[in-house]
Amino acid sequence: MSEKSELVVHRANDLGGRAPGGPLTRDEHEMTPFEKACHALLNVLDVHKLVNTEEKRRGVEDLGGQIIGSLTYYERWAVAASQVLIEKGLITTEELGETMALVRRRWTDDR
Amino acid sequence: MSARFGVGERVRIAVRDAPGHVRTPVYVRGHVGVIERVLPEFLNPEQEAYGVNSGTDVRLYRVRMPQAALWPDYGGAPDDVLELEVYEHWLEPADEDPR
Amino acid sequence: MSDAHAAVETAGGPPDYFAVLVESLRELLVAKGLIGADEVRAMIETLDAHGPTIGAGLVARAWIDPDFKARLLDDATAVVEQSGIDNYDDTRFIVLEQTPREHNLVVCTLCSCYPRPLLGLPPDWYKNRPYRSRAVREPRAVLAEFGTQVPDDVRIRVHDSTANMRYLVMPMRPAGTEGWPEHRLAELVTRDSMIGVSTARTP
Repeated sequence: MSEKSELVVHRANDLGGRAPGGPLTRDEHEMTPFEKACHALLNVLDVHKLVNTEEKRRGVEDLGGQIIGSLTYYERWAVAASQVLIEKGLITTEELGETMALVRRRWTDDR
Repeated sequence: MSARFGVGERVRIAVRDAPGHVRTPVYVRGHVGVIERVLPEFLNPEQEAYGVNSGTDVRLYRVRMPQAALWPDYGGAPDDVLELEVYEHWLEPADEDPR
Repeated sequence: MSDAHAAVETAGGPPDYFAVLVESLRELLVAKGLIGADEVRAMIETLDAHGPTIGAGLVARAWIDPDFKARLLDDATAVVEQSGIDNYDDTRFIVLEQTPREHNLVVCTLCSCYPRPLLGLPPDWYKNRPYRSRAVREPRAVLAEFGTQVPDDVRIRVHDSTANMRYLVMPMRPAGTEGWPEHRLAELVTRDSMIGVSTARTP
């Protein structure tokens, strides 16, 4: 397989047997409020089939290796959910941008 | 739909390379195993991933394959196995012994 | 909820981009009537209510009740639902029994599939690259790094959780626990032993 087709076919999430595996870690941490809220939101989106679990996985894979490698687990979920909702016409980029500006202002003023 | 394959039958996992979301890992494609268990039908994840939430039910199986065949440099015991779930449309009958 | 986020995510800097994004998605979808105002909060409570003690309870009961164990191995999904456990996302379960001849190990090489209603949310290492890439290729080395030595005459079964089923490993009951009540046995059943990377605690 050419290097370019390998990038398409062997998606960044498909890790079985893939080098370099690297040393095992035993990391764990308490879930942060952001992580819990993100996990819960995605569960709710699946319940309503707004973004089902398979769409969420596909959305994360579609982020590509660089973003997958740089964002944390739940940061990837948040971006993937946003993109799938926009793609399906359930929300628009404009609406989301306006809401983000409002939330950001509110959280900044609250401090 | 009745299941195409039964427990103990030899199957080969298809080699496919179309773009898109699939749930068959690259490392098992082209390898031979046996049906360990026949599972119910589920939505085809390759369509569900693009928002198709009904009408695509496909049979799921658990397939068992020898680790030594999957990894040429496998360092474990000869009896060690890998088992995973594979949807029916990824399976072809395989006559020869698992590699 | 937004206050809690603000307090945690923004201490000492501008609000975190991704925390803002998640809260904005929630508020926008509520405003559009696509999800209920209280649904995310209620789901957080559900997630908080699930952890490894639920799976440990099933294992401990199976250790002392052969009929229950037989039913659990035959159709774990039905047993979970009959046991009054909140199977909040309609998960389908398979329980795998550790024996003196077989050692089971669970991994998800494609993402992070995990029996969440029975074990809660997975630890970071389960979701990270080293475990996911290596568990299928060199399970004995991975187990050794967890301090679990499996003799060569014991078959390793690695289960790659690729599709609709979720797997719970039933560890072997430790020696020296004869006559123990169920609740005491359950304390020996660790999360890691139900993933298959370790054995149950010994008394």
